[in-house]
Amino acid sequence: MLRFCLRFLSGLLIILFAAVPQAFADKDTLIYSWSSNVGELNPHMYSPNQMFAQALLYESLVKYGEGNKVLPWLAEKWTISPDGKVYTFALRKDVTFSDGTPLNAEAVKKNFEAVMMNSARHKWLELVAQIDKAEAVDEFTFRLTMKNAYYPTLQELCLIRPLRFMSPAAMPEDGNTSKGIKRAVGTGPWMLVESRKGEFDLFERNDNYWGIKPKFKNLLVKVISDPTTRAVAMETGEIDLIHGAAGHGSGQISLDSFERFTTMPDYVTQISQPLASRVVAINSKRGPTADLTVRQAIQHSVDKGALVKAIFYGVEQQADTLYSADTPYCDLGLKPYVFDRQLAEKLLDEAGWKQDTAGAIRQKNGQELTIDFCFVGNDAQQKAIAEAIQGDLKKIGIKINMIGEEPDSNMNRQKTGEFGMVFNETWGAPYDPHSFCSSMRAPSHADYQAQIGLPMKAEIDAKIGQVLLSTDETERQGLYKYILTNLHEQAVYLPLTYVRGVIVHKKNLKGVRYGQLKAEIPFELIERD
Amino acid sequence: MLRFIVRRLLLLIPIMFAVSVVVFCILRLGPNDPAMSYLRLSQIPPTDEALATAREFLGLNKPLLTQYIDWIGKALRLDFGLSYVTRRPVLPEILYYFPATLKLAGIALLLTLLISIPLGMWAALNKDRWPDHITRGLAFFGVSMPNFWLGFLLVTVFSLWLHWLPPMGRGGLSHMIMPAISLALMSTCINIRLIRASMLENLNARSVLYARARGLRERTVIGVHVFKNSLIPVITAVGMHVGELLGGAVVVESIFSWPGVGRFAVSSIYNRDYPVMQCFLLFMVVIFVICNLLVDICYAALDPRIRLAGEENI
Repeated sequence: MLRFCLRFLSGLLIILFAAVPQAFADKDTLIYSWSSNVGELNPHMYSPNQMFAQALLYESLVKYGEGNKVLPWLAEKWTISPDGKVYTFALRKDVTFSDGTPLNAEAVKKNFEAVMMNSARHKWLELVAQIDKAEAVDEFTFRLTMKNAYYPTLQELCLIRPLRFMSPAAMPEDGNTSKGIKRAVGTGPWMLVESRKGEFDLFERNDNYWGIKPKFKNLLVKVISDPTTRAVAMETGEIDLIHGAAGHGSGQISLDSFERFTTMPDYVTQISQPLASRVVAINSKRGPTADLTVRQAIQHSVDKGALVKAIFYGVEQQADTLYSADTPYCDLGLKPYVFDRQLAEKLLDEAGWKQDTAGAIRQKNGQELTIDFCFVGNDAQQKAIAEAIQGDLKKIGIKINMIGEEPDSNMNRQKTGEFGMVFNETWGAPYDPHSFCSSMRAPSHADYQAQIGLPMKAEIDAKIGQVLLSTDETERQGLYKYILTNLHEQAVYLPLTYVRGVIVHKKNLKGVRYGQLKAEIPFELIERD
Repeated sequence: MLRFIVRRLLLLIPIMFAVSVVVFCILRLGPNDPAMSYLRLSQIPPTDEALATAREFLGLNKPLLTQYIDWIGKALRLDFGLSYVTRRPVLPEILYYFPATLKLAGIALLLTLLISIPLGMWAALNKDRWPDHITRGLAFFGVSMPNFWLGFLLVTVFSLWLHWLPPMGRGGLSHMIMPAISLALMSTCINIRLIRASMLENLNARSVLYARARGLRERTVIGVHVFKNSLIPVITAVGMHVGELLGGAVVVESIFSWPGVGRFAVSSIYNRDYPVMQCFLLFMVVIFVICNLLVDICYAALDPRIRLAGEENI
């Protein structure tokens, strides 16, 4: 019996302690981390495919460059017909997919067709709905014909998904990639070579890449779901780089951890330019916020400076308009709502929202000035911001009902308009301002529900429709001016901050920078000293 | 003995049926709409049209009873549907991650037994002296410490300050030490107190007095007459510890990025991935029930009184 027990125990120990070969970590491997595995990396599909990884393998016809310019990429040059409907692209002739298949017009066409086969899935992207035909004119000339002169065509061709190209040899036989792909094969600087669920994804340099080849041979992406664990992994050398959004939820790192790294001499930290805007949408149809004066008073009474300092540790930048001035068409010189509690109180008094005693809730015709602030209950950051705003508004006699709920319930409120105030975020480059504005017309979006009480809502929607199809730059500027000025003056959004990305790495890394798109990380430029 | 086992196995059927009803209903009692979760996770805008299509696709437009019958019918064929997030069948995903959790829980259980048994005996044999006081103090302290907090403390000390152990991931033995300790501490401390109490009870038994009177060596008295008899309640506790350890792994795996089923479950709960949540709950219940069954069988094998009583009742 004793012998049996000993044998059993030793067997158990061998099984339990058998070391799993550790994912290699050498000088030629850059180690990054992400909250989940990157997925099968289908270029034409969404979750569970992770965008940053799709961008490593797949490339687009054109690239989004600095200063919001569209640059040549897989297409060396292009022409646009005078009516703005036909785009003819001359493809580079030196590009092959990582499996050796040449990139030609036929391959591009097959990828466009694969996306079009599943067009219902891409309904959110107006470009897909606007495509009429995709044709291979000759081996290296590709023609795209649009139903209308849709002006953001080139900008939306820069997106990471769904209009990037995989090798036709890796597509399924029927070409319908929405049901899955054979392998992840693109033209990009990296190749996916191994995935271990829950552990890591390993990329290898594509030595036949036509562009700037990565300096590292391997890119190891470890799966770390907890931002605190990621910060510890950075400090213990388990990973080389933190790069992405900061804050709660999908953030790479918590803001307080980032602040700690900024004080540590061994690390380099960077903060990006504004990537998107964090706002609160105010309902113009339901409850007291249907009154413009109430919305304006809210704008004047929130102390954003304190919010940025206390909650965002100065990482995010105070926002005074829906879009930052460096967003295309958005440098309109709109007058910010200054933080002035007395002015807010004066506005409310004049509009008939009276306060019986100091500190009491204001009332008008027997109606209390009470607003439902809806947020995702387990999102610590949203909760903290909502509490700060609640405190600020209480000082001018506005009562906030805090409604923290499950993400789905919150989403349902956005869809049905059952909110007084709700958090929202713009989509960032290259979607802003056109795609985000376009979505303001969809009833399932919080923006539509928030704006529905505006007297000029129908006109705003019509102008959004016009601006997307306008071929005249001056006309577009005028239309955007009308839309954004009205939204600003109607105080339907309370801009809080401009979201910025963060980077943390050790001093021995060089060339770490931001991509032009929110989800793009230019790993190929990074090298070790 | 065989009849005993068969009877216990048959009892699993009503238990699993009741559990499946509870699991199915409990997830539908909340304010959430699985169709909305599906759309959110698929990144499809939740228009009325999309919601209606999703409800039809997921069978949510049918009466609750029909939904349950459809679900349990497929579950009996081990088809728990596709995860909303990964788009892969749920059960193979859980089975993929489970060995890592089992490995961690197995090591934690081993640690629990290797530490708690000698310490419990040491405390009992030195009752009311300093080894007893120290052990009891440690046990009290350990029981009061949540595993996630201990996890963060260990990481701070052994990874950040001393750089002795890796803070996360799966690899060699060094990767397992901190997660296993975080997981095992509470069970270890409970077990120490249990063994101490059980040993003390047996030390005062008449059979032990008689054994000493027979002139048996103290080692034999303690080893055979006291220790062996003290193990009976420990076996019950081990059955519970397996459940505790697997449950505790849900938190510990997230802290240490351990690629187990617990971390998978946490992300599914966070995402409201209903098919995974349902399958995970059922899966854990099966594990608990099987552990309890194994404990009962061990019990019956070790203690003839229980076995014989059980057979008489059949």
